[in-house]
Amino acid sequence: MTDRFIRNGLPGLLAVAAASLLVTSGYAGNLIIWVAVAAALASSLRFVLLIGELNFSVAAFFGLGAYTSGVTTTIWELPFWLSLLASGGVALLVSMVFGFVTLRVKGPYFLLIGFAFTEALRILYTRSEWLGGNSGMVGIFPPEALSDRFPTFVVLTVGAMILVLALIERSHLGRIFTAIRDNDNVVRSVGIPVHLTKVLCFCIASFMTGVAGALQAFSNNVISPLDFSFLLSTFALAYLKVGGEGHPGGPILGAVILVLLASVAQGFGGAEHIFYGAAIVISVLFLPSGLMGLAARLCRRGARPGVARAAGDL
Amino acid sequence: MQNFLQLSFTALQIGAVYILFSLGLTLIFGVLRIVNFAHGQFFTLSALCASVAVPWLAALGLPVWAAYVAACVAGVALTSLFGAVVYELGFKRVERDMIGSFILSAGLVLMIEGALLKLFGGGVRPVPPLFEGNVDVLGVSVASQRLVLCAVAVGLTVALTRALGTTRFGKALRAVSIDHEAAMLQGIPYRRIAFLGFMAATAVGAVAGALIAPVAAVTPTLGDSYLVKGFIAVVIGGMGSVPGAILGSLFIAFIESFVGFHFDPSVANLAIFVLVMVFLLVRPKGLMGHD
Repeated sequence: MTDRFIRNGLPGLLAVAAASLLVTSGYAGNLIIWVAVAAALASSLRFVLLIGELNFSVAAFFGLGAYTSGVTTTIWELPFWLSLLASGGVALLVSMVFGFVTLRVKGPYFLLIGFAFTEALRILYTRSEWLGGNSGMVGIFPPEALSDRFPTFVVLTVGAMILVLALIERSHLGRIFTAIRDNDNVVRSVGIPVHLTKVLCFCIASFMTGVAGALQAFSNNVISPLDFSFLLSTFALAYLKVGGEGHPGGPILGAVILVLLASVAQGFGGAEHIFYGAAIVISVLFLPSGLMGLAARLCRRGARPGVARAAGDL
Repeated sequence: MQNFLQLSFTALQIGAVYILFSLGLTLIFGVLRIVNFAHGQFFTLSALCASVAVPWLAALGLPVWAAYVAACVAGVALTSLFGAVVYELGFKRVERDMIGSFILSAGLVLMIEGALLKLFGGGVRPVPPLFEGNVDVLGVSVASQRLVLCAVAVGLTVALTRALGTTRFGKALRAVSIDHEAAMLQGIPYRRIAFLGFMAATAVGAVAGALIAPVAAVTPTLGDSYLVKGFIAVVIGGMGSVPGAILGSLFIAFIESFVGFHFDPSVANLAIFVLVMVFLLVRPKGLMGHD
């Protein structure tokens, strides 16, 4: 499953990137960026779910990335590449400390602390005058050379990061992550440092979230504390849940479908919250493994009559 | 001294509401192993009902306090009914699935908040004061309506904890929350207790909402800040523990009141968060957590 995703991933990514070259800017370009950033958020959420934890602080690290790119671009005037890397780096450093402290607790405790951390950071942004306080930061522009092709750049960056996540998931390390989810005592008994492995998983996901946050900041040019409330984590959850968390393609599918549908729904008068909420509720109750799971089930049902006939022939 | 008493009184008052709020959260978690994010929405719904019904009933000629009592009853009844529908259609299918039920409740938060915003609009809905004037308690001047609301909240909390400790239903609830399989082996009807427990928790949350309505700025997003505080209280106290939720709520209320006065409210929020992190380092399962 993951193998096929990795094999088809690179050509697929290049095809999408090539297609996005046709769109230079305007609404369609923004839509492509939103889809890519949403896919990155949901993939990061899914990656931490590999160790069995629901990472609700994903909005906090997204915000950290965005604010780092804001500070490094508008105040320190660092070059774009450095700023992008710094955004991931800051998210990585903070997630190391935060993860080291909080990953000792599991399940509901970890989830709720992540939620509290997101809200605490948001308050911190509004209190910091040098970060623009309540109104946020303005003037975060990508370099001239990229500004026309920014959607393509975002698609390539996000796609590469998602592929790396899939590669890690398939590797030995990924097997350890799933083993921790299934039974961490067994993993501990063979001498693997469970706590540090969990922190590593969390850090990788947070680095990606930070970079995604920076990409969002560069494409919006404006950021404000309200963009990074816990609602963002809930949206990421919606993408993941609708797409299905069992397959690395799930978050991407969910992001594509929900972002496009939401942009259509906005035409009917801004009931965005109700729309996302209903999508989550319906998929939890009726599609427990998401659209990916539904597709897999349909494929199997299509294959079954053939199997039955073959068995009957024997 | 004057300040100290005044602040302690404020802390007690918000603390009582936090206790009612977090008791609902901890009961639902204990009995069903559900992290119910939508609890704040039940709280908001009841507060909104009160804020709509009080002016309406008062205009019909009822005295304000009678209108308020009637509005509270109506708000709590409506919210409980809504909670029953949500449980039967939704949570029943995902109970004991921590992540699944949490995702479902997060979806409900978005849906209900969106619907409430559409129905009631984003503006603040003031509730007319129930009692005029101030009362002197121990040399501290307190608005009499705050005093009454605080007394009701504290009285309810005491009654509720006593009921959980002594009545048959309370004992069954606690037994289920400690080990539901062992409880079933003792002949406790788990299905019924789960349903009643969810309803009781929702009703308590609704009461808290109705009590806060006259002294807070009632908007469709009222529940969000209580949700953060309530969950932190439950994490500090230990998920599923009733005395833990009470201690955690009081702890948060005192920090909020004292730090909020000496510095400012957002510093208080940050302080609460930092203290929780430190606290989790020392006691990862909370003050009274088991499992």
